[in-house]
Amino acid sequence: MQATDRTRLRTQAVRRVSIVTTASSDTPAKKILMMGGTRFIGVYLARLLVKAGHEVTLFTRGKTPVTQKIASETDQEYAEYSSKVKHIQGDRQDFDGMKSKIASAGFEIVYDINGREAVEVEPIIDAIPSLKQYIYCSSAGVYLKSDLLPHFEVDATDPKSRHKGKLDTEALLQSKGVPWTSIRPVYIYGPLNYNPVEEWFFHRLKAGRPIPIPNSGLQITQLGHVKDLADAFVRVLDNPTAFGQVYNISGAKYVTFAGIARACAKAGGFPTPELVHYNPKDFDFGKKKSFPLRDQHFFTSIEKAKNDLGWSPKYGLVDGLTDSYNLDFGLGTFRKAADFSTDDMILEKLGIKVAVPA
Amino acid sequence: MALSLQFAVSTPRQASLEISKLTPGYIASSLSLRSPSASSLHSLGTSSGIAGAVKKSSRRWRAAKTVAMAAAANEVSNRKVLIVNTNSGGHAVIGFWLAKDLVAAGHEVTVMTVGEESSDKMKKPPFSRFSELRDLGVSTVWGDPKDVGAAVGGKSFHAVLDNNGKDLDAVKPVVDWAKSQGVEQFLFISSAGIYKTSDEPPHVEGDPVKVDAGHVGVEDYISKSAFKFWSSFRPQYMTGSGNNKDCEEWFFDRIVRDKPVPIPSPGIQVTNIAHVSDLSSMITLAIGKPSASNATIFNAVSDRAVTFDGLVRLCARAAAKEAKIVHYDAKALGIDAKKAFPFRNMHFYAEPRAAKEKLGWTSSTNLSEALKERYEEYIKIGRDKKDIKFEIDDTILSKVG
Repeated sequence: MQATDRTRLRTQAVRRVSIVTTASSDTPAKKILMMGGTRFIGVYLARLLVKAGHEVTLFTRGKTPVTQKIASETDQEYAEYSSKVKHIQGDRQDFDGMKSKIASAGFEIVYDINGREAVEVEPIIDAIPSLKQYIYCSSAGVYLKSDLLPHFEVDATDPKSRHKGKLDTEALLQSKGVPWTSIRPVYIYGPLNYNPVEEWFFHRLKAGRPIPIPNSGLQITQLGHVKDLADAFVRVLDNPTAFGQVYNISGAKYVTFAGIARACAKAGGFPTPELVHYNPKDFDFGKKKSFPLRDQHFFTSIEKAKNDLGWSPKYGLVDGLTDSYNLDFGLGTFRKAADFSTDDMILEKLGIKVAVPA
Repeated sequence: MALSLQFAVSTPRQASLEISKLTPGYIASSLSLRSPSASSLHSLGTSSGIAGAVKKSSRRWRAAKTVAMAAAANEVSNRKVLIVNTNSGGHAVIGFWLAKDLVAAGHEVTVMTVGEESSDKMKKPPFSRFSELRDLGVSTVWGDPKDVGAAVGGKSFHAVLDNNGKDLDAVKPVVDWAKSQGVEQFLFISSAGIYKTSDEPPHVEGDPVKVDAGHVGVEDYISKSAFKFWSSFRPQYMTGSGNNKDCEEWFFDRIVRDKPVPIPSPGIQVTNIAHVSDLSSMITLAIGKPSASNATIFNAVSDRAVTFDGLVRLCARAAAKEAKIVHYDAKALGIDAKKAFPFRNMHFYAEPRAAKEKLGWTSSTNLSEALKERYEEYIKIGRDKKDIKFEIDDTILSKVG
């Protein structure tokens, strides 16, 4: 990050923090609309918000049950949560329908966990004139690939990225005049993860299979526990320091691809895994992905969030993966069944035999 | 090219909104550049880095920043500081820049260089430029770390920095002398090379270190010597004017002669190249804030990693030339990577988190800018015309085929 602006922002950030910091536990109860909230991030976030005394309404299509008991809560906790959290059923792609459903509820805060395109967000803002803050789950995928890392919030973004919709949404939020905050996670992991990050590794470790890693395995990335992410989302609520700001949220340390495999092994009590390195260019995997992470360095600095929000990740990588294993993948649950077809292609070409357990 | 990006900012929120607008496209339209690619704009530093290039020369800006930071933050002022400086190697340049920053911050500085003033080593930078220090009122003396007292005469100091020794043999005499003189604050230039390798970069302060490393023994000894204040600084690689050891020159040597640049595979290894002013500003802050810096180890580095391949690209842009990277497997080809390449052939990346958290320090390294300045100096002293033998490169290239 370049000096002039960072120093300026840092000086001003210090000033901002000294003017006002509102921890959410001191925040008066708010009427919150959450887009999503039934699959992963929102499951934890909604619980934190309800516990803090806010009135939370989840807007979902209803495909997934509105509430489900999760492994880390007691029956009592679940009963409290499920009795308090509210639900509006609807399709956020049906803009007019959605607007009519959310318009007169007096929502003050929107947590948009599953928005992808700017066109999906504008109707929500237009429908809620009383809106005090729009909090958006964006993605660190918006950053332009760089030789200088980590990515800081002020770094160049990539208008051609797969996450262009997130960028457009951030630009829209800026243009609408409503106070907004955008959170840019890197790779999120934790119990209930439906993106095969840790699941991919756990499948192979459980099967006693070697783990195929593209190229050197020195690619550096960053995993962030979903509970730390939820905590960050709570800290920006009604926090003027966070108005108009974007925050990278992820783990305190980065990790190499090879390191993730070893960390997952430690988390699940598996022996040190055999890693097999291959060049993806030597293969045609068709539509299948041979590895769950993008084949490049991809990591961010979280110091802005630490400074502005007083937030810091509670989970180290092995601790966090252990939590995920103990509460989810180690219990035998998974989202996608194991598919070793690309692994087998790789191993065959490299002449490596897999010992099939009896 | 003089770049000027100005926007009216009256509130912090406006500042951050303006900064967040600085996408390559926005900058391109503001500057009316001819369809720059996102990557070429990014090569000027990050998008907001272009604002950093506004008007001021980076050197003047760095000096001003150091003074401002020191003045705003001081617990103490007008300290008498002794720098015991090595007479060669990558760390030599630290003392040179630090002396200047300390003077700018209002302190009184003595630099004791190890050895003799008449030594041939003194013909190389930064020593060849010590008149610049004397012009600022810095006292330059020469002597033996085993007898610092003799070199500095009867002078007393508030703070002593050892920027010389790598082990207890070399540093203990300096520590013991300082203790006997009632020196309040002892500072040491250690090395980030002592961190144990890890799956989880970066190296942060507190991470496990190699217990047998000489620098570790020194840090330990200093921490137990009951100084009122002590700090240790762990650098990686540095660039900057007055450097005693080549850094980026290795890359310029090849690029300017249109030679391929052999890089140990895979080329994505990350390292940290700081402008030496990042170290001098950090240590100056530590001296001005002894309580804040006390009993603390600081990674003395910039806050960005650069890949080996990325460094080639940045050096090529600094030289306004194309570079051809050739990757090679050092082990497989029987090449000693230590001799073939100037940086450790592995991820070696520390971050300066303690300095930011405890001293309110910020990094000012702009590697693109720094390399451009260094390239100008490289050409100015005629290094592009120097006759260099590229024996190891030739071996590598013939083996790669």
